[in-house]
Amino acid sequence: MKTKALALVGGLMAATALAAAPAKADVKIGLLGGVSGPIAAMAPAMIDAAQLAFAQVNEQGGILAGEKLVGVVGDSACSPQGGTDAATKAVNIEGVVAVVGPHCSGAVLAAAGSVTVPAGIAMVTPSGTSPEISGLDDKDTVFRTVPSDDYQGRALARTLKEQGYAKVAVAYLNNDYGTGLANAFKAEFEAQGGEVAGFAAHEADKASYRSNLADLSSGGADTLVIFDYGDGTGLTILRQALENGFFEKFVGGDGMKSDALFKELGSDNLTTFVASSPVGEKSDALDVFNEAFKAAGGDPDAIFVNTSYDAAFLLALAVEKAGGDKAGVAAALREVSNGEGEAILPGEWAKAKALIAEGKAIDYKGAAGDHNFDANGDVPGTYALFKIEGDAFTVVSEMK
Amino acid sequence: MDMLELLNFYIIPGLVLGSIYALGAIGITLIYAILRYSHLAHGDLATLGAFIALALVQAGAPLLVALPATMALTALIAIGIDKGFYAHLRDRPKIITVMSSLGIALMIRAVVQVVWGVDAETYSRGIVRPEVYWGLRIKDRELWTLAFLIAAVVVLQLFLARSKWGKAMRAMSDNPNLALLSGIDNRKVIMLTWIIAGGLCAASGVFLGLNTELKSMMGWGMLLPMFAAAVLGGVGRVEGAVLGGLIVGLAEELSVLVLPGEYKAAMAFAILLFMLLVRPTGLLRGKVL
Repeated sequence: MKTKALALVGGLMAATALAAAPAKADVKIGLLGGVSGPIAAMAPAMIDAAQLAFAQVNEQGGILAGEKLVGVVGDSACSPQGGTDAATKAVNIEGVVAVVGPHCSGAVLAAAGSVTVPAGIAMVTPSGTSPEISGLDDKDTVFRTVPSDDYQGRALARTLKEQGYAKVAVAYLNNDYGTGLANAFKAEFEAQGGEVAGFAAHEADKASYRSNLADLSSGGADTLVIFDYGDGTGLTILRQALENGFFEKFVGGDGMKSDALFKELGSDNLTTFVASSPVGEKSDALDVFNEAFKAAGGDPDAIFVNTSYDAAFLLALAVEKAGGDKAGVAAALREVSNGEGEAILPGEWAKAKALIAEGKAIDYKGAAGDHNFDANGDVPGTYALFKIEGDAFTVVSEMK
Repeated sequence: MDMLELLNFYIIPGLVLGSIYALGAIGITLIYAILRYSHLAHGDLATLGAFIALALVQAGAPLLVALPATMALTALIAIGIDKGFYAHLRDRPKIITVMSSLGIALMIRAVVQVVWGVDAETYSRGIVRPEVYWGLRIKDRELWTLAFLIAAVVVLQLFLARSKWGKAMRAMSDNPNLALLSGIDNRKVIMLTWIIAGGLCAASGVFLGLNTELKSMMGWGMLLPMFAAAVLGGVGRVEGAVLGGLIVGLAEELSVLVLPGEYKAAMAFAILLFMLLVRPTGLLRGKVL
């Protein structure tokens, strides 16, 4: 009688366990992006690219024990407050195992400092480029698939100097992105023998910047370098500078490489405008990604889509490697992309999953680069200088 | 720096900016004078107005037609918001209405973002270089902005001073109980207030959009300068709001001469704090219309 009862209870327990298995929760990764705010026009494509990585994982057998990988989208609004709010919600309410994003440097710094670092959650930003992020005391949990602006500012300064720009004025947005980029640019441009004849920060969302521009042009520079967002204040500044003839030539950082420029100002007016932007180095991995993103209805030339995809795919690999353990994701992230082991290209989830199961080392070769993170969680980058031709950006030259 | 440069790049932009602030500040001051609360949704109502005008312009209407139509539509929306949200809070402490207006601001912004998206838009593509008159670089749209402000103020002042309903508004602002006792229909006066405030608010949004770009956050960024303008001129005084708006606009632009550019946005705040400390009634000793 006793044994029968025991067997019954045991059977019931087994049944419950079996019934519970398929209902096991999805694995969630946070996708924090500047859905509203100054980079709102760039954010949707970046989020789509990250979702493509998750879709590929789910098509090829899912993550861990066949569970679904879900991207939880949050709006970091490109501001420190927005970043903190979105990260808090993702980590504490949604219970994500890792975070892709936020998109803007200020949001990254705030979200990391107040939410993800204390919680020990790994974060990979595809577009937070401020040099400040390198120095973050992050217990090795903050990474990026996009190079620091320290590289970009210096590369832009060298390229401009080479192309004969001698005397420039710099207008930069007063936030972590603008300040970091502007300082790196100024240091290198002056080291190369160029003259920075005006250097001023500005606040976002004012109706007029003519007094700022008059002040900047009073130094006698013929070129204005704008480190701002082309969907936000950068557009207003460029418009007012063009309308009032303050400068002859204009240069932008990656934030200014936005379609809004030629859509709103007309490409005829922008013949003297160039912008620098990170580009994926030509590689098989980039081609594979471009094909897949095009097939999914995306535009592979949109800014930061390849870094977004890489961030998402890398985190998926790291979660798999860490066996779903939140605390182990950051360490696993370094293991899946340290240059040693079988090469994994974008989309090769089933192959990677099998290798991880066998306990073999893998090395992700991403669309935007190899992503062998350095001690700060940074990657080196390649940039190109773009100009506007017709209604599109075309490459002028590589930047070194 | 010569005189022309000062006029072209500091004074004229300051006056245009000030006119835009003034149009919004008039509404804020009228609402405060008659309904006795600070309307925090004013900036986002201006955004809504700017985007309604964009819809009309994209549908083929010239801006000259779209502007009055937008003002009328936004006035209707303002009445609707008052009837739907503020009316039943009227007997409660005013701070509740102030907070609810903050909620309305977020709701209006959300509607704008859902309907028109979050990309920057313009009424017409391309750029317009200014005309040069005797060395002064002025764009037509800047003249229109100033002219509209002057016309609006003259008409509004005449209306308040001469017409029956203008006098009723002043009476309500002076002493609501006495006005009610003498047979003034307060619902009509409140409706009239929203028509004027909503219309001018829409105009400020349209002129801001015309002089820069349309963005879903454009009005929110104007809210602080508009309040600073209303307080500076003396809350409850229409001519004070105009004077305050122009001073705040000029102060923001001229501040770049002495302060680093990033402190420009703090000018409105500094003026607001300074006036509240030194002369809380404002330059024109505000309180009632």
